[in-house]
Amino acid sequence: MDGQLPIDTRPWPVRRDAALHDQTMQQTIGVVTKRLANAKVTAYAAYPEANHWRQRAVEVKRQSIRQLEEHLATFTQQVESHGGKVHRATTAADAIQTILEVAQHHQVRSVIKTKSMVTEELELNRALENAGIAVRETDLGEYIIQLAHEKPSHILAPALHKNREQIHALFDQDALVYHTEPPASEDIVALTQYARRRLREEFLAADMGVTGGNFLVAETGTVVLITNEGNADMVTTLPRLLVSVVGVEKIVADWSGLIDVIQQPALSGVGQRLSSYTTLVSGTRGPDQWEGPDEWHVVLLDNGRTQLKDTPFEDVLSCIRCGACLNVCPVFRQVGGHAYGSVYPGPIGIVETPLLTNFEVLPELPSALCTLCHACGEACPMNIDLPGHIVQLRQMKQERHMNAIGVTRSYRWWARFWATPHGYRRSMRWARWGQWWFVRHGRIQSAPGLAGGWFKTRDMPPVASMTFHEWWDRTRGKRQ
Amino acid sequence: MMSEEEGRSQTLQLFATCLIDLFRPQAAMAAVDVMERRGATVEFPTAQTCCGQFSYNAGYHREAADLARHWVAVFDAALRRDSQARVIALSGSCAAMVIREYPSLLYHDALDRGDSVDEAERWQERAERVGKRVIEFTEWLAHEATAELPTSGIGVTYHNGCHMRRMLGITSVPETVLQSHGFSIVPMEEADQCCGFGGTYSMTEWPVSTAIADQKLQALGKSREMGAQCLTSADFGCLAHLSGRLSRRRDPFPVVYIAELIALADRGPVTVEAVQQMAQHKEEG
Repeated sequence: MDGQLPIDTRPWPVRRDAALHDQTMQQTIGVVTKRLANAKVTAYAAYPEANHWRQRAVEVKRQSIRQLEEHLATFTQQVESHGGKVHRATTAADAIQTILEVAQHHQVRSVIKTKSMVTEELELNRALENAGIAVRETDLGEYIIQLAHEKPSHILAPALHKNREQIHALFDQDALVYHTEPPASEDIVALTQYARRRLREEFLAADMGVTGGNFLVAETGTVVLITNEGNADMVTTLPRLLVSVVGVEKIVADWSGLIDVIQQPALSGVGQRLSSYTTLVSGTRGPDQWEGPDEWHVVLLDNGRTQLKDTPFEDVLSCIRCGACLNVCPVFRQVGGHAYGSVYPGPIGIVETPLLTNFEVLPELPSALCTLCHACGEACPMNIDLPGHIVQLRQMKQERHMNAIGVTRSYRWWARFWATPHGYRRSMRWARWGQWWFVRHGRIQSAPGLAGGWFKTRDMPPVASMTFHEWWDRTRGKRQ
Repeated sequence: MMSEEEGRSQTLQLFATCLIDLFRPQAAMAAVDVMERRGATVEFPTAQTCCGQFSYNAGYHREAADLARHWVAVFDAALRRDSQARVIALSGSCAAMVIREYPSLLYHDALDRGDSVDEAERWQERAERVGKRVIEFTEWLAHEATAELPTSGIGVTYHNGCHMRRMLGITSVPETVLQSHGFSIVPMEEADQCCGFGGTYSMTEWPVSTAIADQKLQALGKSREMGAQCLTSADFGCLAHLSGRLSRRRDPFPVVYIAELIALADRGPVTVEAVQQMAQHKEEG
């Protein structure tokens, strides 16, 4: 069944122009993506076995997806034998309904969350707030964008587009609302101290925790969370009620598989050998334990994922959400995450958004946000064929008649003429004859049709008065 | 400089690419000069048109396959005349299209047109066979025994095309070749970033494409401060994009295709004036 993804309803040109005019965002995103991409390269260079382990991780992910249903059955059995409850959600709406039922059954009034892209996919915060439940994000980046009433602009670093000055202003405003002391300065330490102090109050007051999950281990029924802030430890242990929402593709068979994959998100995402904290949840609080939730619900979300199984796009399900493809993408570096209009931006978002929703939303993504430079394919630690998929999606759009008819006709005529030497030479003569309406100062400065876009910002030399073909015929033709 | 492999002249079939043929024929003329100076026999299969990458990347695979079949037929015929001959591509990107994309494109297109699996496999094998004999110009040049030329001191900054780098894995070869011909390489910041061209992407999504080009020109600005006197590349598509943007910004900074620089160095000591004159694109009758 097709999935449902929330979107920014503004048309692409509006989103694009907003991004291209936001110089602060462009500058911040440029600096941070470069820093992350370089950190990855440095980390790999300093770690001789990096590629060996990466390759093993790829095998583990591929193998896990091939036996998805078996592993999910084992996982479910294990979780339920440790006092948890597993729910399968086919769509985003199913997941929301399940989570709201759990929260309402326990009269939950406030929720604390770890960073989770799946809950963004569900727009869970909005659903909870509409039901009168307060939500607090506890990942620093998520906390910042929650205060700004924005959405993440990057899979791994949600507040990547915000600079220190902007964050300081948000915290100052928050301090006024909560009658507390504002951050001492714009300094990173001061800002972090402020968030730590504020979030501590929220951790202690919340009555439900919500987490995502980086991995699911089938053999022991374990949800694995990796963070650099330790907030997942608090979210999973302080509130009496815990809900973990995880995409089905996060499954691995066993702990040896987990060991093979666990370092990959941090290694490729931020150039760190391993994330600072690893939080493992395997069940509810036992009778002789003093920490952990009384009740634990795991929501396994499909939302269009399993329909990619056994298709040429199956490797997409190996994505570990490291963001490496975003960091190297020249388009992402210019327009940032929000311009994509999808929860999942960057090359992986271009591929996943139409695939999960069967082209229902944002069909412009594969065509409008990729130059096909192949940087993403090179960066992806999971060997996902992102450039190949983008070309394939463009072809699918064409087959489904999703392109403007004029554009399609241009390509048809182009191929018709250029598939024969005679047609090629004829079209060249026409171009040479027609171009003089558009030449200024020896350069072509405008053109009709498909080529028109080029000349909005760039010139082109005219078709040569003697092409190479003609030069060859004239000077060498007789020798052939 | 007149090197001959195994005592006989090698035959090179020139794949000039449509962009160079139409918009910068001097680049192909220079390449012919460079190859002939090194003792090669250059042939130009005159039935060649375009590799079809524009259509392929835009998702028009049927149209791309029409062009690809023509390309394979033309060069297959040319190569069959000489079992040692190779195809020299004047673009890393077009070479990558032929080498990396043709086999599966032609296979799938044959099936889509209702041909038998056997027929589809024949097209795939034919594309693979021809593709194995395609070599990008600078990579060919790097294997030629060239006497080190004295340094001209001309600072050149090199743009590494995305497909050449990532699909063919050619990274430092062109810079090495430039150095051995007396040019000094001025590095480009963020050299692995795209120039924003992307074929028809530059037309359909010109605002983003231009923003990426401007980022590249900003990096170029730094190379210029460090002494770069000209910009070059082994991909004319990228150069057309960047020089087109420079031209619109009324910036006269010289941009020349790599074979033109090599041909210039072959002819004697290179001067900045000669490079500038070459970049100014003066046409002969």
